[in-house]
This record gives sequence, structure tokens and C-alpha cells, in this order.
Amino acid sequence: MHEHNGSGSPSFLARLGGIDRRWIFLAMGLSIALPILLKLRFPEYPGPMAKATFDAIESVPEGSTVLVAFDYDPASAAELQPMANAMVHHCASRGHKIVFMALWPLGRQLADKAIEEVLLEFHPGLRYGTDYVQLGYQAGNEGVIKLMATNVPEQYKTDTKGTPLASLPLVAQIKSTADFALIASISAGYPGAKEWVQFAESANPEAFKLVCGSTGVQVSQLLPYYPKQLDGMLVAVKGAAEYEMLVEGKYPVEKNAERLGQGRVRMGPQLVAHMLMIGLIILGNIAMVAGRSRGGAR
Amino acid sequence: MSDHGSNEPGPQVQAPRKSYRFLWLSLAVLGLSVFALRTASAAQAQGADPAAAQDLWKTIGIWCAAFMTLGILSFLYKDNPFYKVCESILIGVSAAYWMVNGFWSTLVPNLFAKLAPATVREIALPDLPVSATPGTDMALAFVPLVLGFMLLWRLAPRGGWIAVWPLAFIIGTTAGMRLVASIEADLLAQTVATVRPLVAFDKATEAFDFWATVGAVTSVAGVLSVLTYFFFSVEHKGAVGATARLGVWFLMITFGSAFGLTVMGRITLLAQRFEFLFKEWLGIV
Repeated sequence: MHEHNGSGSPSFLARLGGIDRRWIFLAMGLSIALPILLKLRFPEYPGPMAKATFDAIESVPEGSTVLVAFDYDPASAAELQPMANAMVHHCASRGHKIVFMALWPLGRQLADKAIEEVLLEFHPGLRYGTDYVQLGYQAGNEGVIKLMATNVPEQYKTDTKGTPLASLPLVAQIKSTADFALIASISAGYPGAKEWVQFAESANPEAFKLVCGSTGVQVSQLLPYYPKQLDGMLVAVKGAAEYEMLVEGKYPVEKNAERLGQGRVRMGPQLVAHMLMIGLIILGNIAMVAGRSRGGAR
Repeated sequence: MSDHGSNEPGPQVQAPRKSYRFLWLSLAVLGLSVFALRTASAAQAQGADPAAAQDLWKTIGIWCAAFMTLGILSFLYKDNPFYKVCESILIGVSAAYWMVNGFWSTLVPNLFAKLAPATVREIALPDLPVSATPGTDMALAFVPLVLGFMLLWRLAPRGGWIAVWPLAFIIGTTAGMRLVASIEADLLAQTVATVRPLVAFDKATEAFDFWATVGAVTSVAGVLSVLTYFFFSVEHKGAVGATARLGVWFLMITFGSAFGLTVMGRITLLAQRFEFLFKEWLGIV
């Protein structure tokens, strides 16, 4: 039942309480579409967790072997691929050797994409087998990590091309996760960063640095691990944008720089959509309080 | 609104349905026409440039992806045939994908390749490495094979109890594996991380660090008050009640921040789909 303003027509606040939710959908769509069309960009200021992630990769000696696990699939790529791209570029620029793997079936394809669009694009001199290796996906969830903590060759007998690990110089001497200087899990859920903490970091607490990139949904589960068990953490697309700023600041690229700036591109719509949401929450609460104070049913 | 008291639908119910059907049909015809036009132009370009063959398939792929995206988003306006089609395709493709993935990533390399390595190497995995202990591998592979058949026994009309044994094995091994990890990484390590000085000093200058101190006090207060809220052996009144209420505040703030992060994730997903539509499909960005 609508309240009336005395002239017979419902008041603005009463109409606001009964608004068709499709108008809100439309407003939300426009708040995201317009910043993309207008190419709105806002400055990003790196936070402590993005800095810690950057510093962890920087602190590892040049030429170290790092493991990057693509523990997500295309459903989360919008949030995680930007930070994965920046991390691959960062590791390669720092001179680290990169071993790619995946705990999610489609993570392998996303790792291949990062190799093709970032590693080979910005570091064409790197050679397969000596500078980077793609181990691909293995079924088994946390069981894969548990076995890798003690015996990597038992878990991964070959790479994705079917080459035995013993024939690849980069991984021939790798026996366990303790042989990596740093492990990075780009994680969208189970199995992911939490399992890397539970089964790899706990088994060898001081052997390697562990960093992660996470979707927004599971950040609250991972935050307790930082900074004791996780040396760095990238929080959703915001963390990706901050991390991109740090990587670009130290390792700029001359062409196709947009491939390393997708996180910042997606922060424009974030800001406008969040402003809209805050405004709607405030308006909704005002309408509710006004309705109650006038003795309305809603 | 429809008249629930009447058995015969009135004309005011029929008219909107017909108009919506016409709307969806028009949209389908329009979309297919533009798609056919774009595909035809790509096919024409293919004749002039052999490299355009790839573009033709890419065009078809982009149009399919755009159709699926718009079809799913159309549910925000109203349930409609486009959405139903896209939803059914998504469910069907996902189910088929996970079935095929499970077969090729689990059954073939972990079971069949150990039971019959030569056959698997010949027909499925030519790069399958030669095992140093094929006999042992085969013997061990019979364990999951038998457990697997026992698990499937629940589909049989009799002897459903047989499926309970492999289920007990799965539950037991999973619990055992996760229990140790949880105690080490969560209970012990988290307790150690919580026990820290409440007054913090800067490591470099050894000066009093106000914000680090606030963080330490907040962290310990949050842990203790939330634990008190979940402690039901003492009635929640007096000092215990006040502490429990503080715990509720900490929980609410945690849920709020988790919700905010979830919203951020969902907005990112929508932004990425819009980027696809504007950039790859329409080419206007």
C-alpha cells in the first residue's frame, strides 16, 4: 500500500520502496558499461599486501625456480588472469625460471594463454625446458600438493608435451616443493591457496616463500594466513590493479602494455558501480526508516 | 495480475504473452540476420585471403559467445526462451565436459594406463611413460578398480550395503588427510599468530607503532569476543553477554566485508563480459 503526500499521489520515498528491480539492474548495467565505453581510468595506490607480494618475488635471488599454480578456470579469469599475467611478467623480468602447473582442469589452458600472450610476447628469448616448463593439470586436488611436497617426479612424470621431467634441465633436479624458491597460487577456491598453505607450507614452513592471488569471494578465508603463512596476497581485481602498478613501475614494456593493465581497466567500472550501490543502500534505508516512522507496512 | 478465482484466462492475460512472444521472435530473427550477414562477409573475405579461414571460425565463435552472454543476461528482464536455451546449453556442455574430463584425466592415466599400459599407449596416450614396475602398478590398480565397482553397486537393486565400504574408505582417508593439515595450518599456526605483543614497536626505529598496536589489540579482542559468542556453557549475560555482543559486531563486520568482496568479484565478471561485447563483438572500444 502506497503512502500519499496529501495530494493523492504516492510520495517519492514510498515509490522508491516499490521500484521495479529491473530499473536497478539497468542502472547497474549502465554504471559498468559507461566507464568501459568512456575508458575511465583512476589512479591506484599499492596497498601493503600487493607490496608484500611484489617484494616476495623481488627478494628471491635472480635465476631461482618458481612454481606458478593456475588454480582457477575461465569463470574466474576476469578477476585472476590480470594478476596472473602481471606475475608471469614480473617473474620473467626478475630473471626467475617459471614452472607452470594447475590444480583445476582448465587452469592449464589459462596458463598456456599467459605463456603465449605475456611470456613469449614480452620475453621472446626464453627457451622451453630451461627457462620455463608447463607441467599442466593433474587430478587429485590436495593429494597432488601432498605428494609434490615430498616427491614431484612421482606426481608429474612428464610435462604437457609428454617429455619426461628428467629430460628437462629446469625440473630435472626438482625433487619436492622445497626445491622451489617461491610458490604462487592464483586461486579461485578448492583446491587452491588454502590447500597450498595446509599441505605444502605446513610441510616445509621455511623452505620457500608462498604468495597467492585470490578471488574476492574467498579472501576472508585466506586473510588469517597473511602474513605468517602467506608472504603476500593479491586481493581480487583491486589487488591485481595495485600489483600491476608496481610491476609496470619497475618493469615497463614498450608495446601491448594493455595486456599487463587489465586489472586497472576493470577498476573504472568498479568505482562507479560501487558508488551506485552505496547510493542505493542509503536511499533504500532512508525509504525504510521513513516508512516505519509514518507507520507504513514496509 | 491474473485472476486466481477464475478457471478461464481472461483476454488481459493472453495479450501480453502474445506480445512478448512476438518480441522474442523479432529479436531472434534480427540477431540471426546480422549473424548471417557478418558470417557471409567473413566467408567472402576468406576467398580473397586464405588467412581469413581462421577469422570465419573466430567470427562464429564470437557470435555464439555474444548470444550466450545476452541470452543469460536477458533473464534480468524476464524469463524467456533465449534464457532457457542458453541455460540448457550451459548445463549440458558443463555436464559433458566434466564427464569427459574425469574420464581422460583420472580414469585413463590413473587406472587404465596401469591395468593395460600397452593398449592405452597404442590407442590413447602415445606419450605414456614406461613404468619401471608395471606388475606392482597393475596389482595396486586393482584396489581402486574393485572399490569403484563396489561404489557403483548402489545402483543395483540388491546389495546396496556393498557401496558403504568404499564410501567409508573415502571418508576415512579424506578426514585423516585433512585433519592433520587443519590442525597444523589452522589450529596451531593460527593460535601462534594470535599470541603476539599487544603493544607494537617499529622494527627499524624501535619507536612506538600506534596503528600496529591498534591492529594487535583489535585482532586479539576479535578472537576472544567471537569465541565467547560461540561459548554456550555460560549464560550470555553480564560481562560475558557484553563480550558476546562485541563478538556479534565483529562477525557482522566480517560478513559485511566478505559480502563487499563478493560484490566486487561479481562486478568484475560483468565488466569482463561487457568488455567482450564492446571490444570483440561490436568492435566499438
